[in-house]
Amino acid sequence: MKKRMLALFSAVCLTVSMAGGCISVSAAEEKKDEVIVTMPVTSEPEAGFDPAYGWGAGEHVHEPLIQSTLTITNTDLSIGMDLATDYSVSEDGLTWTVKIRDDVKFTDGEPLTAKDVAFTYNNCRDNSSVNDFSMLEEAVATDDTTVEFHLNRAFSIWPYTMAVVGIVPEHAYDENYGQNPVGSGRYIMKQWDKGQQVIFEANPDYYGEEPSMKKVTVLFMEEDAALAAAQSGTVDVAHTAASYSDMEFDGYSLFNVVTVDNRGLNLPAAPAEEKDGVVVGNDFTSDVNVRRAINIGIDRDEMIENVLNGYGTPAYSVCDKMPWYNDEAVTEYDPEEAVKILEDAGWKAGDDGIREKDGVRAELNILYPASDSVRQALAEDTKNQLTELGIAASTEGVDWDTAYSGALSQPLMWGWGAHTPMELYNIYHTMKETGTAEYSPYANETVDKYMDEALMCSDLEESYDLWKKAQWDGESGITQEGDIPWIWLCNVDHLYFVRDGLKIAEQKIHPHGHGWSIVNNVDQWSWE
Amino acid sequence: MKAFAKKQKTGLTLKKSGWNQRQRLLFWLIAAVLFLMAVCIGGMFLDEAAKTTDFSRKNIAPCLAYPFGTDWLGRNMFARTIRGLSISIVIGISAAAVSAVLAFILGVVSATMGKAADTMVTWFIDLVMGIPHMLLLILVCVACGRGLKGVILGVALTHWTSLARLIRGEVLQLKEQQYIKMARKLGKSNLYIAMKHMAPHLFPQFVVGLILLFPHAILHESGITFLGFGLSNEQPAIGIILSEAMKYMITGKWWLALFPGLMLVLTVVCFYAIGENLRKLVDPASAHK
Repeated sequence: MKKRMLALFSAVCLTVSMAGGCISVSAAEEKKDEVIVTMPVTSEPEAGFDPAYGWGAGEHVHEPLIQSTLTITNTDLSIGMDLATDYSVSEDGLTWTVKIRDDVKFTDGEPLTAKDVAFTYNNCRDNSSVNDFSMLEEAVATDDTTVEFHLNRAFSIWPYTMAVVGIVPEHAYDENYGQNPVGSGRYIMKQWDKGQQVIFEANPDYYGEEPSMKKVTVLFMEEDAALAAAQSGTVDVAHTAASYSDMEFDGYSLFNVVTVDNRGLNLPAAPAEEKDGVVVGNDFTSDVNVRRAINIGIDRDEMIENVLNGYGTPAYSVCDKMPWYNDEAVTEYDPEEAVKILEDAGWKAGDDGIREKDGVRAELNILYPASDSVRQALAEDTKNQLTELGIAASTEGVDWDTAYSGALSQPLMWGWGAHTPMELYNIYHTMKETGTAEYSPYANETVDKYMDEALMCSDLEESYDLWKKAQWDGESGITQEGDIPWIWLCNVDHLYFVRDGLKIAEQKIHPHGHGWSIVNNVDQWSWE
Repeated sequence: MKAFAKKQKTGLTLKKSGWNQRQRLLFWLIAAVLFLMAVCIGGMFLDEAAKTTDFSRKNIAPCLAYPFGTDWLGRNMFARTIRGLSISIVIGISAAAVSAVLAFILGVVSATMGKAADTMVTWFIDLVMGIPHMLLLILVCVACGRGLKGVILGVALTHWTSLARLIRGEVLQLKEQQYIKMARKLGKSNLYIAMKHMAPHLFPQFVVGLILLFPHAILHESGITFLGFGLSNEQPAIGIILSEAMKYMITGKWWLALFPGLMLVLTVVCFYAIGENLRKLVDPASAHK
């Protein structure tokens, strides 16, 4: 027995000393040009690093790193150039002509020509399941450095599409491209252990400024695992959530990035009716006064303080701080006015304190994606705040497969925010087939008209004005004074624990998605 | 050696408490039943409190006002735990009841309706038992649309097999008994024999089997909910509480998992104690120890 104890003891000692040895070795090897970053598990591109299947140009837009894009978005979200040297659009807005650089090579040594560009876009048009390329008729390479995009309808914000589509090589593209991508971008994908990590190495032949970070390792893990990894000192940047933001540990500090990653509720703007077995519309929220009262009756600052630990900014639209944002959307928290609006509109409190009008009870069932604890907390807080206005609210966690149909009749806690005004169109513009907007019943001809005009516009700057007018033109729109079919609550800051000494380059406002945006400019990061 | 130790121990407690084993069994039985009833009744009154969020009191460690602490939404964990357990117990009881009835019918059918029926039922039992329990449970639950209905159906449709086997075996044995054969020779109907002669023998087995199904059902309910296939997460179910607690373990909020976990174990142990004690009390062989 004694012997066994001794053996056990020495085994423990050995393990501890070995572990200690490991730690001291890694600490001694000061890595000056490598960085390890964690990301949510959902950020791992299921279909690989292929732009046609959502890499970069997917639901969460970001720079594709491995591939080059024609244009880029600058930190102020204006358009800059990457491969393109110049672009222009025809009078009718249907043909975009882009000149590209002639000195760019793919990492396999082949030159990148206009043919590859045309191939990439035609391929996206045919295969993209996540992004809409239906406006593209055909992309044609007229010579080695010129490509023409023929559109079937005017699309003034095409440069924003060009900023997220990575150019793939025609000669090295097959159905397995996503697993072994070849590009011309700042990094080469060296290794991909599915479900665990991706390792990028700097492209030695990159045509632009040489990346200062030579090796980037991305680990996919949940927030609690990321926190543990940071606490044990194994990662340099760990993504985290507001509920962990009060954790403090040596060698790391909290880094927060302002975002347009907003959370908001849709309020169905049509009375309830049944269509194909699905309830569409809501009798309570179809009254515009109800929607206006809710919009000013919600204390966004309290919400940010309580739910986000202060790491957020109030949201008044889906595109706060973007060049196409109309600041007429800003409202003041005014609970008395909210109650007054409801009273004046005939929503009187019943015996149980819940308002009623013509037999319709002021009830809402706020849906939220069950997997998202922040949205759950926001839904709970909204519920508490609505109760004070005399509205009976309940909450329900749902899966995404039921969330979309549920949102047609009840508010859902959404998350949006992208580097393109197209999002306004997707949310507020009516669909031809149904005559109402896609995600929540709403229709306004004036709003539609401005957005159509904005897309038709040949000048990007000019189109911003039209996007703004679609939000509020002085008489009609989607703001407090207008139809207010969506209530925007807050923009959630993206939070990271960053190892001391790592200098993260200036971030552009992050869009929705707590994943790849942080490494958009990883090539410019540095160690001090 | 073991028997001796046991004897000695019993003698000791006998001397100390002045209770015989039967009385002690009864005591524990009543204590367990009272505990479970308290949880159930408490849960009924705490429904509102379990769902109330109040951000002014979030992440409070256990104290007098909140004996189990509060979570990141400022929900009272004591209320949530009790409410969660009462939901679990209700699910357990309904699922176990359905399961037991199913087991009884199939067991009796298998033993009395002839060879073909027997083959069918045993084949079916093997089929259900052959698929890993949790997997089948998830399949049934998801197919039935999750939520309360899905979980009850899932648990009910997966837990009947062992009890059905037991009852089948018991009935087969009874059929060979002299007095049953005699009753048959005397021309009594099948129904009469089943009701008058077989049911009294099966009843204790059945009740004990039924009660011993509860802990299984409760653990599986919380298991499937923990994995995200069961109840929706605005409900204060015990599986939800535990899976949420997992996320905050790393921040040192131990009370989120510890107390609900302990209470779950306690509940399961109580049901087990009830089942075991009841068996000892009603089983003729051990009733007079």
